[in-house]
Amino acid sequence: MKYLPLILRNLLRNKLRSLLTLVAIAFAISLVCILRTMPAGLNALLEHAGSNTRISVHNEAGLVYPLPYSYLRRVKAVPGVVAAASWTWYGGAFEEEKGVTFPNFAVEPDALGRVWEDWKVSPKALAAFRRYRDGALVGRQTLRKYGWKVGDLVTLKGTLFPGELRFRIVGEIPVERLPTFFFQREYLDQTLQAQGSGLDWTGMIWARVDDPSKVAGVMAQIDQMFRNSPAETASETEKSYFRNFFGMLQGFVTVILIVTALVALTIVFIAANTASMSVRERFREIAILKAIGFRRRVVFGMLLVEATTLATLGGVAGAGASLALTDLMRRGAGGATDPALGPLAGFVVTNAILVEGIFLALAIGIVAGVIPSFGAARRSVAATMREVF
Amino acid sequence: MPLPLRYSIGNLWQRRTRTGFTVGVVAGVVLATSLFTGLVSSLRRTVTSSSSPDNLIVLRKGATNDGSSVVSLEAYQTIRHLPGIARDASDRPLVSPELVVQPFFHTLAGGRENVLVRGVEPVALQVHDHVKIVAGRMFEPSQSEAIVGKNVAGRYAGATLGSDLHFGRGIWKVVGLFESGGSSFESEVWVDVRELAADARRTPPFSGLRVRSAPGADQEALARRIGADPRYALEAQPESDYYAKQAKSANTFYVIAVGLALLAGIGASFGAANTMYASVQARIPEIGTLRALGFSRRAILAAVLLESLAIGLIGFVLGGTLAVLAGRVISAALGGIAFGASTFSTNVITLRVGTFDLGVGALLALAVGIGGGLFPAARAARLRPVEALRRA
Repeated sequence: MKYLPLILRNLLRNKLRSLLTLVAIAFAISLVCILRTMPAGLNALLEHAGSNTRISVHNEAGLVYPLPYSYLRRVKAVPGVVAAASWTWYGGAFEEEKGVTFPNFAVEPDALGRVWEDWKVSPKALAAFRRYRDGALVGRQTLRKYGWKVGDLVTLKGTLFPGELRFRIVGEIPVERLPTFFFQREYLDQTLQAQGSGLDWTGMIWARVDDPSKVAGVMAQIDQMFRNSPAETASETEKSYFRNFFGMLQGFVTVILIVTALVALTIVFIAANTASMSVRERFREIAILKAIGFRRRVVFGMLLVEATTLATLGGVAGAGASLALTDLMRRGAGGATDPALGPLAGFVVTNAILVEGIFLALAIGIVAGVIPSFGAARRSVAATMREVF
Repeated sequence: MPLPLRYSIGNLWQRRTRTGFTVGVVAGVVLATSLFTGLVSSLRRTVTSSSSPDNLIVLRKGATNDGSSVVSLEAYQTIRHLPGIARDASDRPLVSPELVVQPFFHTLAGGRENVLVRGVEPVALQVHDHVKIVAGRMFEPSQSEAIVGKNVAGRYAGATLGSDLHFGRGIWKVVGLFESGGSSFESEVWVDVRELAADARRTPPFSGLRVRSAPGADQEALARRIGADPRYALEAQPESDYYAKQAKSANTFYVIAVGLALLAGIGASFGAANTMYASVQARIPEIGTLRALGFSRRAILAAVLLESLAIGLIGFVLGGTLAVLAGRVISAALGGIAFGASTFSTNVITLRVGTFDLGVGALLALAVGIGGGLFPAARAARLRPVEALRRA
């Protein structure tokens, strides 16, 4: 501690150099933080969004292969299943020229609240969703994007089904980044019946199991029940469903991680350059310190702390800047990121990423400072003095 | 009189450690940026190179891709006979009715991916003229045969020539392997459209049509005519427009890539400026001498700036070479990068760092060279000879 003033003095000795280094490191660390949000967004989704007690039952052949609607009743009857609901992709477009901009599904209104208890839809909204045949429950992201309010009337044009459907928004699903739009299955069914067809199938079934320990058994029982039927099923937990769905982004994420590592490497060079420059011009001074009795260890420690402090300060500045920059990026995108980028483009700098960034800077400071500091501390006094005088 | 080039280069050599670190910084930034834009360019190239200039794609109005569209048999029969459509040797119109389905495929690595299976008729090979069968043969209709794209072969269980491929409800024999110059078709499996419709239990059989316009025919008029028919509510657009829209997510990524390159570039400029300031600082008496000898301010400015630009150049050469190599190594190690949240099916892209991506890296290195050298050079040029010499 008593060496602190000396270290600070040394840092301030060449203000321009310290400043340039600090800014360079700050930019690079902010870049690392921003890049880290991409894989972190994917991981967060995979870790937290999926539930282990909610299972998806879909056709074994693929997600676009339908299931007979009668399966829902049979899934509900499986012991351990608390509630089950079907999802049927409607593919409705709000603005026809832009195509489908948010997912919209037909669902059973009485089951939604029980299968997705964790969404915490208000009882009032759920009651309204059950009451109005044309009611729609909409995720917060889509409500915000279009500025819709409860009571608004919205028309979606079918891209897969003929015609269009008119909905009355009856409530919000209070989940921050959920874009999904739900409406009553019966409404779609009746509309199609009026056109001469009907809805005797569904895209997939979601079921909630009361006890995590029963999940594997329930899934096996469901798949067994439909074996050798025209539509064999594959059940998986919601977590596994998300993992498979977004698994195809994994290769992309690998490249982003490589790029991040490269940026981190450049920070090492920047910091090492500064450390070696500032040590080199101080050979004489260091020799004098040692000549008057300072231990090699102390000299080494002081130089290392100096390099590390500078890098860490740069890290703190960079982490802070990344917060401001991502805020700017999100605002620039107008709250609506490209849906194709999925969870990669949320650009949310979490506290964990900030801490990571700062610690990365600290570690880099140590790595970059160790060799020059060690070299300087080890240098023989006599040799230095001989060179200098 | 300008200072000789040797002076600037010599200075760099004199302070090898410092030069090395700074070159490392520039190289790292160039490498990171070129790799990132390379990834985005590869993604974009894969999607956009799927189009043929003569082709129109016909989808239902409002559908954003062929996976979310339905086209009826009647519409196909009507459109087939419109004027302005190219014909093959036996005078059949070059209209390819297609159905896309995304069944699960199991990767050899143990994962599960949605792969785009395209149901087509043999005419598809003439409509998509850049799709070439490179091994085996085209499938025979109603024989449960399939041909697989280059990127599908070897990635999934059973996706090799002569093997049985399990997907959907059936088993398909792989009889051919095709390539299409790196386009997204190479990530697809093609089978007979009617068999696929039966397997997927689709009643309106097609999801889209590809129409090849006759040489010299008015493609726009044809598109308008298809779009104007009130019975079908369809929309026709040139394939190039369609694939450009599909690649839109790549554009968003470009914006991100450029933004990140900017950040990296500014950071690196500060790093380079640091080195150059130190280099000028250490040479104050020398610069004073040069000035006293009669070298102009401008010559000093140029010499220092040249030093910085040389750092940028060496950094670019190093970083660019590494980027091209890294692109090869990564795509060899990962075996193509799977991507495709937008179309819902897996698109395997081959990472290649191309001229454009190196160009971005070169611009960045140039900017770092100038940005890092300008202020130190100006400072060196402003030095008063008398004061500078006094420091000696």
